[in-house]
Amino acid sequence: MAAWVKGGAADVDAAVAAAADLLAAARVPVLTGLNADVAGLRAAYRLAETLGASLDPVAGKSVYAELGALSAGGAMTTTRAETSARADVVLVLGNRPWDGDLIGEIAAAPIRRGRATGSERALLSLGGPQNGAIRHVAYGADEGGLAVSLGHLRAFAKGHLAGEAAFADLARRLFAAQYGVVIYDAEELGEIGVEMLQGLIRDLNETTRFFALPLADPFQGRAAVQLSAWTTGQAPRVGFGRHLPEHDPWRFDSTRQIEAGEADAALWLAALPAPRPDWLGTLPTVAIVGEGSTEAAGETAEVVITVGVPGETVGGALWNQRRGVIAYAEATAPAEGQTAADVLARIRDRLIEKGVSC
Amino acid sequence: MSTLRLRGAPPERIDLLNVTPLALRGLSESEAGKLAVGTSRRGVSLGDLFEIHLDGSDTLVIEGGSDRLDRVGAALSEGTIRIEGDVGQRLGEGMAGGTLTVTGSAGPFAATGATGGTITIEGDAGDHAGGAVYAAKAGLDGATLVIKGRAGDHLGDRMRRGLILAGSAGAQTASRMIAGTIVVSGAIGDHPGYGMRRGTLIAGGHGALLPTFVETGTPDLVFVRLLAQTLKRLGAAQAGLLGGTLRRYSGDLATLGKGEMFVPA
Repeated sequence: MAAWVKGGAADVDAAVAAAADLLAAARVPVLTGLNADVAGLRAAYRLAETLGASLDPVAGKSVYAELGALSAGGAMTTTRAETSARADVVLVLGNRPWDGDLIGEIAAAPIRRGRATGSERALLSLGGPQNGAIRHVAYGADEGGLAVSLGHLRAFAKGHLAGEAAFADLARRLFAAQYGVVIYDAEELGEIGVEMLQGLIRDLNETTRFFALPLADPFQGRAAVQLSAWTTGQAPRVGFGRHLPEHDPWRFDSTRQIEAGEADAALWLAALPAPRPDWLGTLPTVAIVGEGSTEAAGETAEVVITVGVPGETVGGALWNQRRGVIAYAEATAPAEGQTAADVLARIRDRLIEKGVSC
Repeated sequence: MSTLRLRGAPPERIDLLNVTPLALRGLSESEAGKLAVGTSRRGVSLGDLFEIHLDGSDTLVIEGGSDRLDRVGAALSEGTIRIEGDVGQRLGEGMAGGTLTVTGSAGPFAATGATGGTITIEGDAGDHAGGAVYAAKAGLDGATLVIKGRAGDHLGDRMRRGLILAGSAGAQTASRMIAGTIVVSGAIGDHPGYGMRRGTLIAGGHGALLPTFVETGTPDLVFVRLLAQTLKRLGAAQAGLLGGTLRRYSGDLATLGKGEMFVPA
């Protein structure tokens, strides 16, 4: 475990004290990144409550694309396991679902449960990368992008448009499913596209069974959503400036706050690897980063403290994309060192000692 | 006429939800000065930010503006508020009546959830003007919103009733619109009416149209003439747009499809 203060190597006690001083001096501190295990996230929310700070996960854009549509009209979703076992029609939207092993696994798995048992699975794509490695039927997206294409497809599915267009054929295939699933990335579709997709799925469920399988963001955003919900009753972009958790996705968008000059100090939590924010270096910052990461260096921020990496050097509860739940991940290469939760709790204790309380 | 004169740039975002003529009527200037309006861990009071002069009238003038002044005129039910400058997000949120005028520009979500009264923005409006905030069922809900400059993207998003007038607007105007009327004298951006269920959008020009809007001719509608009379009474520049022949499009066929968009033929 290493620490730096203003570029110079420091012991952890001194770094914790410097971090507490930096945050205590701020009027509008923000806690960002939030790519950590559940214990680390919980400690971050406790620190924010004590400090009167706001929080914004790096996965915010993806999280709110999903939550915006969910809050407006609900969602019909399924799991990866159910998709592999039951789905006879799988529609893959956009590019991101093709990045991992998900589509290949589904394509290779036999249908072994439910009404479609034993039948052949139809794999379809809309606006995908035309990946030739996995056999599927590809449909091109409209010029306006995926959201526009989904609206176009839904108009054919509802019977409001007719003809021999490609989307008419795709709509027929979807309605012919016994158990259909649409796989997508919420950030790639955008909130308005997700809402249109859920409307299409509702329409399909008038005559058959159809569900969505949204990909999780890669930065523990879904764990942050659950933790924020059970801690504050709200979604993750919450501020404690007025002594109670206020939810406002626009006001507590940390990128906006920093660009507008509203935030005057930041704590960046990246126990797991997260994209380096553009604003790093533009305002006083405490960086809590994973050991061995590229940001584990004195020049990253005024105060830098390294912590164990959940699932690698320390155990921790993480979002498990395969199971669609928060699950404990053992350390694959255990090492001595403090966790993000330990460090955040020490900073909070130091603030309380200093008499800082929101 | 009561006045609040801004002393300088606010050091943090300010929430003016509870600062209306009605709320100030029963307060002395000293009491009003103690109203907490800050949003940060340090906070500020109304008296820290403004020189306060109250006379118990139903007219309040805020001299000086800032894009950090949020929820100005929110929940206004009667009286008049005039802001000489800019304002932040959620201008007139949930407003039920009265008159709200901003001489500068407004941030996002102006007039969200407003059920009555008239909101005028003499400059530009941010994204989602007349649009719904997170998890809200509706955007503008019966009030009249006049934007003399340019509105951002998603003007009238999930609007349920009422009237919006604007000089021009960004992409996806009238997205997810439930009902109501939007008239834009200039051009609007790409993909107007995405997810539109009902309602009327009239614009001087437009960007790329959705494939789910279909042209339905150039009907001569009594409704358009009645709307033109209403707009003339409001003194709106948009009335001129309704004098000529209009081409009608129907959509969004991805949803209910009972919305309509008119543009000059």
